[in-house]
Amino acid sequence: MRPLLRQSVLLLGLALLPAAVQALYFRDRISWESRIAESDMVSVDLARSWGTDAVWIDARPDVDFERDHVPEAILLNEDRWNELLPQFLQQRWSPEKKIVVYCSAESCNLAGDVARRLREEAKLPNQIRVLKGGWEEWLKTRK
Amino acid sequence: MKLAWRIVGLLVGAVFVFAGLTKIVDFQPFRFLDPMDFARDIDNYKILPWGICVALALYLPWLEVICGIALIFRRWYSGALTILFALLVVFIGASIAAKTRGIDITCGCFGHLSNQLSFAWHLALDFAIVAAVVALWWKRPDDRLATNP
Repeated sequence: MRPLLRQSVLLLGLALLPAAVQALYFRDRISWESRIAESDMVSVDLARSWGTDAVWIDARPDVDFERDHVPEAILLNEDRWNELLPQFLQQRWSPEKKIVVYCSAESCNLAGDVARRLREEAKLPNQIRVLKGGWEEWLKTRK
Repeated sequence: MKLAWRIVGLLVGAVFVFAGLTKIVDFQPFRFLDPMDFARDIDNYKILPWGICVALALYLPWLEVICGIALIFRRWYSGALTILFALLVVFIGASIAAKTRGIDITCGCFGHLSNQLSFAWHLALDFAIVAAVVALWWKRPDDRLATNP
């Protein structure tokens, strides 16, 4: 029993070393609080300052978008991804513009998922950021 | 017969080295993968807090690689089999729990390649590996006689 315990502890400990090195290597990407890396997010103030250089995407369900949304934002959610993505690409997308994606609040995952699909599936080269605090934060600072 | 078990051990070890590496690096082109992607896969099970998902995303792939190497080279053999068995049991349990709660999961067990496997195939593969690990445990060399650095 003792060799088994000793071997297990050694293996468990050994795996900690490369994991720690990897954590250091990715220290700027890793976020311990949120599913989205800090470098992939943008504050409301900074996103606003981009003005017409940014396209806003609302990743919330249709009903929330219809109730209210950021002016000039376009609806692009995962429920109707295949239908809405071509519309976005034809009507609003431009390779030079930054893309700001938002959902309801800090805790929602929809914006992060849409941002990731825009990068990985649609392969958009744009700078794509998720709005920190989402729609709730935007409402607080609405002027 | 000993050779056959040696080959099974090599294969199981190789599977875990491969499974771990697919979560750490992308080979075409070569680059280190963002651990946040695997952390999101773990988070999709809706079992653990986000911070623990990140810690596991950093740690589990290396644990798989190191235990896989231990199996291949027959060093710390029993310890590696025990850890891998525990990992498999926890993973199978978490997968079934997620499925019964209606959560559509991508397990991320083999990095991007996982997306091409159905849930049934995942389970079948996992049970096959569990069976191999249990058989290897049964046929393992005596720890007192095995070489332990």
